[in-house]
Amino acid sequence: MGQWEEVDHTADVALRIRGDDLADLLTTALEAMSALSVVVGEVEQGRVRELALEAPDAEALLVDWLNEHLYLAERDGVAYRVMSFDVCTPTRLRARLVGRPILERRRSIKAATYHHLEIRSREGGLETEVVLDV
Amino acid sequence: MVTQKDFTKIDDYTWELPQHYDGRMQVPARIFGNRRVFEAAFGDRSVEQLMNVAMLPGIVSYAMAMPDMHQGYGFPIGGVAAFDSREGIISPGGVGYDINCGVRMLASALDEEEMAPHLDALLTAIYHACPSGVGGDGAVSLSHQELDRVLTRGAEWARQQGYATQDDIERTESRGCLEAARAEAVPDRARERGLPQMGSLGSGNHFLELDVVDAIYDDEAADAFGLRQGQVVVQIHCGSRGLGHEVCAQYLRRLQGAPQRYRIPIPDRELVAAPVASPEGRDYLAAMSAAANYAFANRQVLAHFVRRAFEQVLAGRVRDWDLHQVYDVTHNIAKVETYAVDGETRELVVHRKGATRAFPPGHLEVSAPYREVGQPVLVPGSMGTASYVLAGAAESMTRSFGSSCHGAGRTMSRKEATRQSRGEAVRSALNAQGIAVRTRSMRGLAEEAPYAYKDVSLVVDSVVGAGLARKVARVVPVGVVKG
Repeated sequence: MGQWEEVDHTADVALRIRGDDLADLLTTALEAMSALSVVVGEVEQGRVRELALEAPDAEALLVDWLNEHLYLAERDGVAYRVMSFDVCTPTRLRARLVGRPILERRRSIKAATYHHLEIRSREGGLETEVVLDV
Repeated sequence: MVTQKDFTKIDDYTWELPQHYDGRMQVPARIFGNRRVFEAAFGDRSVEQLMNVAMLPGIVSYAMAMPDMHQGYGFPIGGVAAFDSREGIISPGGVGYDINCGVRMLASALDEEEMAPHLDALLTAIYHACPSGVGGDGAVSLSHQELDRVLTRGAEWARQQGYATQDDIERTESRGCLEAARAEAVPDRARERGLPQMGSLGSGNHFLELDVVDAIYDDEAADAFGLRQGQVVVQIHCGSRGLGHEVCAQYLRRLQGAPQRYRIPIPDRELVAAPVASPEGRDYLAAMSAAANYAFANRQVLAHFVRRAFEQVLAGRVRDWDLHQVYDVTHNIAKVETYAVDGETRELVVHRKGATRAFPPGHLEVSAPYREVGQPVLVPGSMGTASYVLAGAAESMTRSFGSSCHGAGRTMSRKEATRQSRGEAVRSALNAQGIAVRTRSMRGLAEEAPYAYKDVSLVVDSVVGAGLARKVARVVPVGVVKG
């Protein structure tokens, strides 16, 4: 079960994310970003979509994953949550997502950054710190 | 861990970390600021980030940080670095996501007493005329053809559409258009995000502010800038919106393989870089310049709607409601500029991330009306505090690649700022100081509370002490529209 916390950062927002595995880490990072940036309504039937991404490594996959969700939130007014991963490797993912309408945008997040980004093994799971430009 | 003791004091306002401190550093690192500013720099990881910049291959002279430096990502905020335009590199992390975030100042013919009865109505009219908030659409929707023209012509597009005067263009850095721009270098998704957002403020630390000039320090320069004691002015702080964010994100992604391809050692993936002369480097310079042009046009369109709000509220009620442009500066940018380095004239790509160009009197790049006094440098303070208008000083060319500070600089995280006070309390405190506030986000107001920032006077005194700029005028806020 993933966990996250906000870490002090002078100008932007830094998140410490922990997950049992990469899928859990990605799911938790998305939930953290959503919790900080939007207020959402109930899950809407029919707001289901797939998302497939490829990246050179797990860190780039995490950045692409979060930036893709920022784009979808701006374009569709919807915050997606993970239903399941059909594929989740360090270089490729295919996720099934369900959308919730964004009722209020609490904070602008410009992008997830690569700044000193490293996904580390920790106590049988994974941990990382990601800086979001706000 | 680098400490204050590792630095050498060059003079009262310049502190240097020698290149030999870390074998990976290509040049020394310099911090500009008085002792208090220098000591405060060690309160977060910005000095470490400055060292990382000093490790980038081909960096010329020094990695530099302005007195408003604080922790960012990749470069520190307040970071300045120059690279040779033929043999050096260019790095999206040295510009940031909000490409050409910048500040525009408009000056009115009104005194505070004339404006005071209309302040609330003015703020409300501006708030409605200039869309703000997260991801919001702008006042103008663009077609793809129009977007192409925005990306290649910048503020000139706005003039052709009736949003700008020729005088506005003259009083904008680089005349509001970077010629290196190529619309086709801008990724499709960035274009898509840019179509609906022209003429929008955005959120975060962006704002529109009504101020009153409360001090003049340099009569000649103030006269040239059209500023006088007691006068009402407007400041607009925003950038290239989602289009710029997407250009940065996509080029950071595209350049992830470049360090290996071109054998460029980097200490942080956010500092990925490519040779300026490589296909990736040329494309990034072209796309970043196009995004910068979008930002120049965006601030120009917002200026138009502020003028319209002034007309709507003040026409027939005051003698003159016109707003003339003082200047528009960018503080997140990479630009090709020419400098004398060790007796040799060199064309450099100067990265300014949270730093403002500050060209001195006589520089040919300074707009004709200001050439004798130097380029205006706009330094907004935090919401409740003063902002400054400076003029570039001669020493900036040899000391900081023609650069100065860009604002007060944060000292407190957003999390800590919201822990200390709620938005409602911040608004009450501002109201008690005589500052009216309009915002869509109380949380945003708390994050941007004045106590989260350095004392802007300290920052400005440091750039003046370091010889980078001269003080011209100070303005204090009376009304804020917070993005």
